[in-house]
Order: sequence, then structure tokens, then C-alpha cells
Amino acid sequence: MKVTIKKQIIFLFFMLLIPIWAVAQVMTVKGTVKDDKSEALVGVSILEAGSTTNGTITDVNGNFVIKVARNAKLNISYIGYNKTVVNVNGRSVINIELKEQSRSLNEVVVVGYGNMRRTDLTGAVTSVSSEAIDKSVVTSVDQILQGRAAGVQVQQNSGQPGASSSIRIRGINSVSGSNEPVYVVDGVIIDGNSGSDTSNSLSSINPSDILSMDILKDASATAIYGSRGANGVIMITTKHGKSGEAKVSYNGYVGLQEMPKKLDMLNLQQYAYLKNARSAASIVQPDNSFVRPDLLGAGTDWQDELFSKALMTSHNLSITGGSDKSTYAFGAGYLNQDGIATGSGFERFTLRANIDTQVKKWLKSGVNLALSNSTQKLTVSDESLIKTALRQIPSVAARNADGTFDGPQTTDFVVTNPLGMALLKENYNEKTAIRGNIYLEATILKGLTYKTELSFNFGMDNTYKFSPSYTFGALVNNVIESERSKSYSKYWVLRNLINYNTTFAKVHSVNLMLGQEAQKSGWEYLDGYRSGFVSNVAHDLNMGDATTAKNQGSSYSNTLSSYFGRLFYSYDDRYLLTTTMRYDGSSQLAEGHRWAWFPSAALAWKVSNESFMKEIPAVYNLKLRLGWGLVGNQNVPNYAYTSLLTSVQTANWGTGLLSGNTANPNLAWETTSSSNIGIDLGLFKNRIELTADVYYKRTNNLLLQLPLPAYVGTTGMGSTSAPWGNVGSIENKGIELALNTVNVEKKNFSWKSTFVFSLNRNKVLQLNSETGVINAIISEGSETNIVTRTEVGQPIAQFYGYKVIGRFEKATDFYYKDANGVIKPTALPTGMAIGKNGVWIGDYIFQDVNKDGVIDDQDRTYIGNPEPKFTYGIGNTFAYKNWDLTIFLTGSYGNKVVNYQRRWFENPATSNNVLYEATQYAVLSKIDPAGPDDYRNIYISGGDPYMPRMAASSASSTSNFRYSDRFLEDGSYLRIQNVSLGYSLPHAWTKMLKIENLKIYANLQNLYTFSVYKGYDPEIGSMNQNVLLTGIDNARYPSPRIYTFGLNLTF
Amino acid sequence: MMKKMKTLNKLFLGLIITTPLLLNSCSDSFLNIQPNDKLTLDNFFQSESDLQASTAGLYNKVWFDFNDKFYYGLGDGRSNNMYAPYSDYIYPFSDLTETSLTGPLVLAWGSFYNVIGQSNNVINNIRKNSKNVTEDQKNAAIAEARFMRGTAYWYLASLWGNAIIVEDNTVLVNHPVVNTSPRKDVFEFAMRDLEFAAKYLPATVSQAGRLTKWSAFGMLSRVYLSYSGISVDPNSGVRDQAYLDLAAKAAKKVSEESGLALMSSYADLYKIENNNNPESLFALQWVPNGDYGVTNTQQAYFAVASEITGDDAAWGYYTMASANVMSEYETADSLRRKATYMAYGDHYAELEKANGGYTYTVLHNSKKCCNIKKGVVGNTTDNNGKSTRMNSALNTYMLRLAEVYLNYAEAVLGNNSSTSDATALLYFNKVRTRAGIPAKTSISYEDIRHERRVEFAMEGQYWYDEVSRAYYKQQEVLDRINTEKRDFIDLYDYDKTSNTCTIKLNTTARAVNQATAQRMLLPYPESEVVQNPLLKQAPVKYTFTEDKITDLFN
Repeated sequence: MKVTIKKQIIFLFFMLLIPIWAVAQVMTVKGTVKDDKSEALVGVSILEAGSTTNGTITDVNGNFVIKVARNAKLNISYIGYNKTVVNVNGRSVINIELKEQSRSLNEVVVVGYGNMRRTDLTGAVTSVSSEAIDKSVVTSVDQILQGRAAGVQVQQNSGQPGASSSIRIRGINSVSGSNEPVYVVDGVIIDGNSGSDTSNSLSSINPSDILSMDILKDASATAIYGSRGANGVIMITTKHGKSGEAKVSYNGYVGLQEMPKKLDMLNLQQYAYLKNARSAASIVQPDNSFVRPDLLGAGTDWQDELFSKALMTSHNLSITGGSDKSTYAFGAGYLNQDGIATGSGFERFTLRANIDTQVKKWLKSGVNLALSNSTQKLTVSDESLIKTALRQIPSVAARNADGTFDGPQTTDFVVTNPLGMALLKENYNEKTAIRGNIYLEATILKGLTYKTELSFNFGMDNTYKFSPSYTFGALVNNVIESERSKSYSKYWVLRNLINYNTTFAKVHSVNLMLGQEAQKSGWEYLDGYRSGFVSNVAHDLNMGDATTAKNQGSSYSNTLSSYFGRLFYSYDDRYLLTTTMRYDGSSQLAEGHRWAWFPSAALAWKVSNESFMKEIPAVYNLKLRLGWGLVGNQNVPNYAYTSLLTSVQTANWGTGLLSGNTANPNLAWETTSSSNIGIDLGLFKNRIELTADVYYKRTNNLLLQLPLPAYVGTTGMGSTSAPWGNVGSIENKGIELALNTVNVEKKNFSWKSTFVFSLNRNKVLQLNSETGVINAIISEGSETNIVTRTEVGQPIAQFYGYKVIGRFEKATDFYYKDANGVIKPTALPTGMAIGKNGVWIGDYIFQDVNKDGVIDDQDRTYIGNPEPKFTYGIGNTFAYKNWDLTIFLTGSYGNKVVNYQRRWFENPATSNNVLYEATQYAVLSKIDPAGPDDYRNIYISGGDPYMPRMAASSASSTSNFRYSDRFLEDGSYLRIQNVSLGYSLPHAWTKMLKIENLKIYANLQNLYTFSVYKGYDPEIGSMNQNVLLTGIDNARYPSPRIYTFGLNLTF
Repeated sequence: MMKKMKTLNKLFLGLIITTPLLLNSCSDSFLNIQPNDKLTLDNFFQSESDLQASTAGLYNKVWFDFNDKFYYGLGDGRSNNMYAPYSDYIYPFSDLTETSLTGPLVLAWGSFYNVIGQSNNVINNIRKNSKNVTEDQKNAAIAEARFMRGTAYWYLASLWGNAIIVEDNTVLVNHPVVNTSPRKDVFEFAMRDLEFAAKYLPATVSQAGRLTKWSAFGMLSRVYLSYSGISVDPNSGVRDQAYLDLAAKAAKKVSEESGLALMSSYADLYKIENNNNPESLFALQWVPNGDYGVTNTQQAYFAVASEITGDDAAWGYYTMASANVMSEYETADSLRRKATYMAYGDHYAELEKANGGYTYTVLHNSKKCCNIKKGVVGNTTDNNGKSTRMNSALNTYMLRLAEVYLNYAEAVLGNNSSTSDATALLYFNKVRTRAGIPAKTSISYEDIRHERRVEFAMEGQYWYDEVSRAYYKQQEVLDRINTEKRDFIDLYDYDKTSNTCTIKLNTTARAVNQATAQRMLLPYPESEVVQNPLLKQAPVKYTFTEDKITDLFN
């Protein structure tokens, strides 16, 4: 073997690092350390057991010399290799072979109330490491998961800074709204459901603090969380210190965000032409300023006014370290993200500290505290300003010459100045959260530990709203209002865990965990309002008129008491069994229905550890898994099981009362049973790793607020809320694949790929409500529309509306021949006849689904499914010398989305601004110019073949733009989510600078989206995280494209 | 050392065993959580003030969705008292193009049933849970709730005809798919509720605005009168004399025994400070500066411009009087006209007080059309802080003494073509005299129709007059509607000195439906039919379980 110069350098390097210990020993031992390929290993540490000073390292040839006692033991350690202990036994020459560690085989995974080696897992668990976090620009932990974990579908509900995502682990488990998983952050359970697009329950967590995320997917893994596990559990572990020299790391970046796409709204000239056409059709009065549209300029581009490039900056500093007995980690982080839409933004400051210490030989203790303070500006979303900006017409100026805001010249049927609203209206929240836990862990006997732990989470949320007086052209507001609200939340969990680990007869390995926990959540709310402020300057309530004061206060609390246990048994590291059992009692349910059992069991067979597999060296790892479990959901409002009276204000008679809810004393747990078959396969020393799972889940006793007709008195103002009930069952089945490959691994170049694929199908199996369907509605103006319907035998929440089957092109389209050759009139909407103010040439033909000859509400049908046929993520990482490049793509295929606002933005008769498509309406001409204004004398002479005519009567206009598949679009997309290029300074340089590592990088987030979608962004999510309103784009805040430049520094 | 450790270990072992047990022993109480921001039923209904609190909620929030848009959108929009070509909460009604999806229609249906449901809850909770209260106190509270329920059923019977009758919502919740009952039964149900209310409500109340027995008799006069026209033949031309007599008796009882009188000034009726004046028999009680839901939002929809409300909630520019209603006014009838609709040049001292009053000089396409005044009370400072954004705090009249007077006159007129009955004339002319216009010596149905339309314009009434008339003279009503030329968008010049309306510009872009017998009924909201197909089937006769009250007029 040639001794290279490089090896000599490395040897010298190690010599420098490790002090040369004084030697005065009995005998000299020589030897060589090699790996299993007989390559000499340089710099291997050889230390006499029991001594901290007597040791050496191997030289460039792998040789070592050490003087030790004749009966000494040598501890041999080398990074990336298994530690070995060698008995000297008087030998003077000892050659040692070290075995390379497999990273994945020794990886520890966080499971419920404990850790397990990945190889011992019997359930479906996916992990996302901090590397993935570092490689992307995420402001919230939920965004990390997108495309990175099989079986996990992540969609951001809004591009607004600080907004929430909709996360579905293995499909839709519940129709009650929330399908968000729970997050267990260092023992603190955080519900992912905020019920809002803008509020993210994970916003208090700084992604940089995260070490790993482990996603428990199947019930055999989540059943240990019993009542909280129904939608999956995501375990988040934050970074802890390691013993050794302290490390200081800094990671910071600055980013520029921009709109990825603009919609093609009309400019002033185009708008003037269209308005003139509308006045010619007697829809509006003629506009005198539009007499010569050709002389007009572009007018105001309201998208440019509201949206702009925006900055974001992030700084994170952490210090970790520790001694043998104690380790610590401190961290501070700062994030400031301006929104691309004026009137939005997010700022967060986080502080974190944890200490773990071995108090006594048998007692360990630790404390972990995290503080966060965030501020989120919400004006743009709370005031629907994106919709307003799209609607505002180009003839209205954004500002006057003096810089003040302008507005429309009349007050009738106009929209406000979105820029003025965004800048003048105060609307933000400030949230402060303290999360932490403290534990004591005693080792009672060898292998038997007892841990008691208190975790808590306090939240203080303040919201600030101030509406000033303003004048936007003719729009005048003189009422100055201010509202302040405070809410305070308190959560604690007290937990006792006993853990027993033993191995007997060498092949029987047992781990038993028993635990008990009690949890309590409480929430309080106080709100105050005043108007009549003297000026726009001071915003606090005291400056308002006291006689206008309004206030509100409310509170709730709920508790959960639980007992649980897990038994893990492994025979000869070949046959594995995990069983868990949990018994939960919830205050949310009535006595007698409170307690429920949640069992699970899973088996795994490590085929690769069988002796016969030794013949097949290519198979490095092969494990088959089989699991079943039961989890629950008790996500109902507080006190749903009993009847309550709520207060109503009266003018002069004190507090009035109304029934608040309809009780269901029989309300019971929603339970999901799931089965999982999985395979883990590692080939060629794990250069190819494949994990595949097939699952079937069935949720019974679905919790739902019963969909009742209004005559039951359960809808609208002053109603009694409908009871919650256990209404039915749904199933989800799916396949998920994760493939990691090391395509090239050379000294200077490596290429690794990951591929993640998820496929899920859901179906409603049973609905017990008498009415048999669940509708979800959207109200826009005074129109209330059913947009999705859920029914037995169908997937959940499919879009439900009319089907456009064509357009009346000519007179004969008003008639058709039926099967018997009889000429029949084409079905027209109820109450409408052939005529200009009814149905005319250029109007849509709707499908007469029930074939009763008339188009009415009975003709609505399922028009599309928002659930993707599959979703996927593709990652490629290239490393060349000190450079690394990551390209990460995510995609969704086969899902439909509804571009809801096109119903107004494509309607040429709309009085607000519209899309360019609206100008392409079907132009009608007379066949015989001298002939009558009769439908038989009309043909379509121009326009887009898919657009209807411009109808003067509101009935015709409303009919054409009714909620139909005309506004349904293909939501498939492939997005270049992330391209990250990094350069690490060579060690030679960094050494001189006395730093361990310095990396600079550039990152392009949301670089490009391949999609046919006409709106801003095909990734839409669910409105307010409501699963029944998934995939409906109602002027969603677009996700920005982000260019960032950053720096990682460790010393 | 080792010994010490073992002791500690034992201590820990002890802890392990005891901690869960300790927690377990208090587990059940740990899971019992009582609300702090709501009341449970078992600790309420224990005093008269409890009972009063339980009925107080029936005067505003439950009616909100009805009051917000439907009250005028249907009541005045459909009867062509107003014209709002761009407000989709009004024009579907005036154009007779409403569908089962029309927003305000769906909301109003829900609102009536919320009134019914909450009234049922009050009635049943008092019956089941009340303690330490007298039978009289219980009956008075139940009577209040039954008045509300009866009134809601009168609306349902008038608008939808056949309706679902509910007496216990806790039963309906579990079995919501039920049949409707025929219109006559719905009327009967409403009348029984109101008769109970008339019998058990007190004659005077300590809390102004609460219902009295006069409210119930007044409402009965309306319902009896309306019901008297119902027979199998909608064009029979005759009304049932028995119910005409009952209507007259009920109206007479209020007029003669209540001691109440008309307000001296018509315009003063629509000022916040005159909420719960003696003429007001039943009015929705909105809360000044209240939370959304107990607020009267109507001003925001009527106010022609921000300068009136002082805020951006003033969407009434295109919500105007129809040319048709402006032509209804007699030349001398300017007091009522000005209090109801603004005409070019009108000055309102009560609006924009800070600027010395408001003068209406709004033009529509350079035409002098009229915007809505009734319900418009001005900004916050005009009203001592009581009127705020989207909340005028003005009571919504549901029944005024003036109507009871006209009900009396109409009941006396009965099936005659005209009447000169002295008492009928007395009350009829009280309404006219107050308006500053000449008294009549003989009155016909046409006189009463005209008087009702003008007196109650923008009070959500006129459509119900048409509906009641159509029970026995349907063709007359259909002809009247179909000859109003609603398919013209009229812009007119209204001259306030001569009270004349000249049509100046009309275009034919309004797609209206013809009034037909079918269109005299509203469609059931689609969400209801989808969930309960029985709504489309024939109604099933209702079985009344309680005895009818017969001693009301003894």
C-alpha cells in the first residue's frame, strides 16, 4: 500500500488534536487497525480502558504502539465505525478489524414516550432530518414535510407569512373539520389544527432548532397516543447538546420574495372598451370618460400596487456543548418576513435553552425551555384585499398627487382602495409562547428506569385592530374604531413512565414501558372595543369614547387522563413484536362514554438477519412489517354532551338567554382502526434503500356536527348549534414508497437521490344522518352556494355543481332528437325561456342530469375530486469537492381545483375589473342583418369558443356563471420547490480562521411550477383547514418565489 | 453509600406506585369540567327574573337574519315599494325571480325557524326545569314565547303556505325528515299560540318593549283578518265572516281597552329616542352599540352615502323608491312621504346635525329619484352614540297600533264594497289625520289598500297585504303586479312640492317573471329540500293536542 502524502497530513492533523499522553507501562503492544476491506485506518483512537490519559492513535499506515498493563483492555474507536474493546491478554501484537457503522441501522427514532432503533421499528415511521430543514427556506415546521415524507400530503393554505398548512397523513380520517396531526415537541403536545388559514399553531417553533422529525403514520405506531393519534403524530426533537468542546453555530440568510405569477386583469384601455360594450348592451350607463378608449393609458395596475418584492431575513445562533455529566444547548433565532402583499408580514424571535445533567449515578435530570414571540400582520387577508385589488378598476388611482390615497369617484357598487386599506388599517397579532419541560429519570435497577416529567405550554395572544378615518375619493369613513383582544392559554401534562430493558438468554430482548399521564388545557379570552377616537394617532382603547365600549370574555378548559404501556420483544434480532395499549378518559364526553381503550400490535421479521440470507450479500437489510392498531378522536367542542344557555345582549333588560347547543349525551369516541404491511429493503450496503407500505384504515363513529335542515333551528344567527354525533364511517387505503439511492459515490463527487410517492383513496362507507349527505357551502355576497358534497359510496368532499355540456351556437341547439326520434326542447334553467333576457344564443347548455327537461338544483352532480391521484417528491443532491447542490421537486397529480373567483372575473357583465378572458365573450350577430331580433336569426360571430355571451339580464348572467365545472381546473402540478447551491470553505482555510466549518449558500424556493392552472398557484390547501373545503381557490394569497443567500458558520 | 442509594430507590419505587394511584383516585373529578361562560339548564329557571331573561333573547338575535335584508327585500321589494337593480338581496324579489337559493330567502326561512326553535326551547325548559315560580309567572313567560312562535308561523303560512310544525326541537333533531302541514293548520297553530298569548300576557309590563296582551290581540286581528280570506277557491271573492268578526273584536279590544294611542308625529316614529312608544305593539329590540347579531343593520343598506352614516357602511345609493310607489302618494301626503322616501331638496334636521342637518340633493343619472329615509337615523353623534356602524339601534316595527286601526276598518268593511261604519271611520281617519291629510266619509277596500301601503311603506308589510288579498281575489292581485311594468328600469323625476312622479327614462333590461298563482308562494330553500324530500310532497294534517282557548272575548 502506498503511503500518500495526504495520509501523512491527516496523521499529523490527528497528532495535533490529541495530546500525547505520558507513558510508563508494563508492556508494549503493537498492531494495525484496518477496516473490513483491509484498508488501513488512520487516526483511530486507542485508549486503555479505565484511563483517560493513556492512549494513542494510528499512523498513516494504521499502525499503533501503546504501553499498557498485561491484562488491560483497549477501547478502539473511530468515527463512522463500531466501537470495539480488545483484551490485551499479554499479546504484544494485536491486529484489529473495525466494522463500518451503517448510519441507518443505528439511527434512533423517536416514538411515543421513548426511542427505538430504526431497525427495531415494527410500525410505519418516516423521519425527516435537520439536513432537509437546512436545505430549504421554511419558516414553519409543517412546510418541511412537503414532498419529503411518503404518505404525508402537505399543502399551504395561504402564501401569507406565518400562515398554516393542511397536512393529511394517509388521507382524510374525519369529516369534522380537523384532519391535522398532533405534534409532540419535546413532550409538549400541540394540536396542528388552528382552524384558520392565517394562524399556524406551529408558528412558535423555530425550524432551525429542530434536530429531527419522526412521523408516526400507522395506528400501530400512533396508538400509544390513543385519543390524540387519529390523524397521525409528528414527533419533533429539538437540538440538545453533546459532551465535548462547545460549538458555536450561526446560520443566517437574507431573501428576496416576489410574486411568481400575475393574473391577466384588464388595463384601463381594455376596461374602457368592455365598459362601453356593457353600456351598449344597456347593462350600465355610458361612462363619459370612456368616449375615446384608444386615447387612454394603462391606468392603475392594482396587482402592482398591492404586491411588491419583499425582503426576508433570518438569523440563528446556537451554542451546544457539555461535559461527561452535563450537556447543554442554547439558541436564539430571529426571522423577519415581509409579505409580498402589502399589509402582511411575520416576525419571530425565539430563545431556547436546555440542560441535561447526570445528577447522581442513578439520577438524571433536565430542563428544556423555549420562548417565542411572534408578530403577524393580517390586514391583507382579514380584509380580503387580494380580491379587492383584483376587482378594483384601472380607472381608479391608487394615490393622489400629494401622496394621499385616492379612491373611486362614486360610492355606488365600488370597491375600496386595497393599498390604502393595507397601509392604514392596523391588524396584527402578537403571540408569546413559553414551552418547556422538566424531568427526573432514575435508574432503579439495571435496565429499569423511572421517569417523571412535567411539560407545559403557555400562550399569550394579543390582537390589535385599528380602523382609522380616511377618505378614498368618494369613500369616506369618519368612524375610528379600535379593538384589542387578549387570550391566554395554558396547557400542562404530568407524566410518569417506567421503562424496563433486558436481554436474557442472549436472544430474548425485552423492552417494557408503562406510563400514566394527565393533561389539562385551558383558554381564556378578553376583548375590548371602542370607537369615537379623536384622531388616528393614538390607538389604545382609552383614547376612544367610553360610551361606545364593548367587551367580551369567555373561557374553557378540558382534561384528558390516560394510562398506557408498550411491550417490545425481539427474538435474536430476527423476530420483533410491539404491542401497545392505551386507556384514555376525556372531559369532552359525558360520563359513561368518557373512557376508551386503544390497543395495537405489530410484528416484524428481519429477514436479512436470518442465516440463509448471508448467502445473498447484496441484500443488506430486509425487514417485513405487519401492524394493526386503533386510535381515537375526541375533537368536539367543549360541553357538546350537555345543554347550555348562552347570553344575548338586550337593549334595556339585562342579559337575555338563548339555548346555545343541542346536547348529545351519547356522544362517543371516533375511532380509526388501521392495518399496515410494510417492507424495508436495503441493497448494496444500503446504497439503495426502499421503504414501501400498504395500508387500510377505517374510521368509525365519525364525529360530525349533524348536518340538519334549517327548520330544526340550527343555522344562522340566534340558532341553537346542531348536536355533534357519531355519524358514520370512512375508509382510506393507500400505498406509499420512499426510495433513497446513492447513485455515485466517488472521492470528489457524490450524487444521492430520494424519491417519495404517496397514493391514497378515500371513500365514505356509511352516514347515519337521516339526510345522508354532508354539504359544504361558501357564501359570497348574498349568495350561499353548496360547493362540495360528501355522500356514501363517494370520496369525501367532491366538488358538486352543474355540468356545462356546450353552448347554444345556433337555433337548432335549442332542440334535440331523443332516442325515439322525437324532437324535444333542450332543457333550460327553471323559469327561463328562449329570449335575450332568458336563454339565448351564446349561453351555456347545462347537463340535464335527471332528464326532467329543466335545469334546476336537481341537476347538480359530482364534477371533480380535490384529492390527488398521487403526490410525489423528488430530491437530488450532488456534492463535488466543497460544492453541494440540491434540487428538490414536489408534485401532485390528478386533483381538481376550483378557481372560484373566475365566476366573477370572467363575467363580462361584472361591474368590477375582470380577467382578459372576459373580453372574449361570445359576440352575437344577425344572420340576416335586416332580419328580426329572433334567436333563429342570430349566430356567434366572435369570441372565445368557451366563453358565453355578455348577458344584460342578471338572470342570464347569473345562470351562465353559476357554480359549474366551467370553473373546475386540473390541479396537477410539478414544482421546483427548491434549488440550493452551497460552498463549504476548505478545511485548510477554515483552520487558519480557527473555525470548524463555513458554508455559504444560495437557495431558490418555489422556483417554477409546471401547471395548466389559470390562477396564481395550484397548491391551494383547505379553507380554514376544513377538509370539506379543500382545493377551492377563493383569491388565495399566492406563495412567493424566494431567492435567499445565506451563511452557515460553526466554530 | 450503597445503602443510601437503596433507600432512595425504595422511595422512588414508592412514588411510582403511589403517583398514578393518587391521580387515579381523583380522576373522575379531574374529568368533570363545568363551563364558566355559559349556564347549564339544571341551575336555571328558578325565579321570575330567570324566566324573563330566558324570553329576553327572543326579541332580537333570532330575528336578525330576517330583519337584515328579508324584512324589506321581500316585504317592500316584492311589492314594488322599492327598486334596487344591483342589490341581489332585493331585486330577485321585485323581479319575481327568486329561487330556492336566493340568500335572504334562505336566511329568513332559517330565522323564522330559529324563532320557533328558541321559543320551543323556552316553553319546554320552563315546563320541565322551572322551580320556585308560580303558575302565573310560568304562563306569562310561556305566553311571550308562544307569541313569538305564532308570529313566525304566520309569516311561514303567508309566504310558503305549507310548513313544518315543530313543538319540540330535541325530538326533531333526531328525526328531521318530517312532513309539512297544510297552510290552514299552520294558520291554526299560529292562532292558538297567539290566543294563548292574549290570554296569559299581562296588560302592562315594567320593562318597556315587552309584549303585552294588547300585542297579542293586535297580532290576532292581523292573523284572523288574513285567514278569513282562505278557502278552496282563491278567487272566491268572499271572506269568512266568523274570522272577520274575530278580527274586528280583537282589534277593537286593543283600540278601546289598551289605553294606547298613536304618536302625534308620524316622522317621530322612526327616531331612536321613540323606541317603544305607546303606538309600538311589537318591535324587534336592537341593542345600541351591540354585538353583530343584536343590531339593526338596515340603515347601512338604505343610507345613500357615507356622509349620512359617517362611515363606509352606506350602500343605499341604488336602493330607491320605485316610481310605482311614489305615484301612490296623495299630493297632500308629504309628511309620510318625507319620513319614508327622500325627495330632491328635502332637508332632514335630524341627520348630520353637526353640519346643520342634511339636505338630499342626490341625482341618479341626473334624474331626481328618491332614496330611502325610513330606517335611516344618522351617524353616531346624531344619536348620542346609539347609532354605530351597521347598527342604527332603531327598533324594527313588527306591529303598530295604526295597523290594528286599519285592521279594524278592514274587518268591518268585510265583504261589503264600502263602509261608513262610524267606528271604522273613526280609526281609519285617525291614521289619515295624523298624516295631515283629509278624513274620509266612506271607505272601500281600495282606500284601505292605499292607506296600508303608504302608512307602512318600508315597514315590510305591503307584500303580506297582497298575499292576504290573493287568498280570495287572486286574479286582482296578479293583474295588479303584472301591470306594474316591473321589467322597466325606471328613472324618474320626483317633484316634492306637487308629490308627482314623472318617468323620465326607462330601459327594458330587467328580466322579470310574470306573477302567477304559483309565484304567490316562495320556494323552499334548496338545502331543505335536499335534506328532506318530504317537503315536495303533499302536506299531512297536523294533530292538535291542546284544547282551543274559547273565552278570549267573553
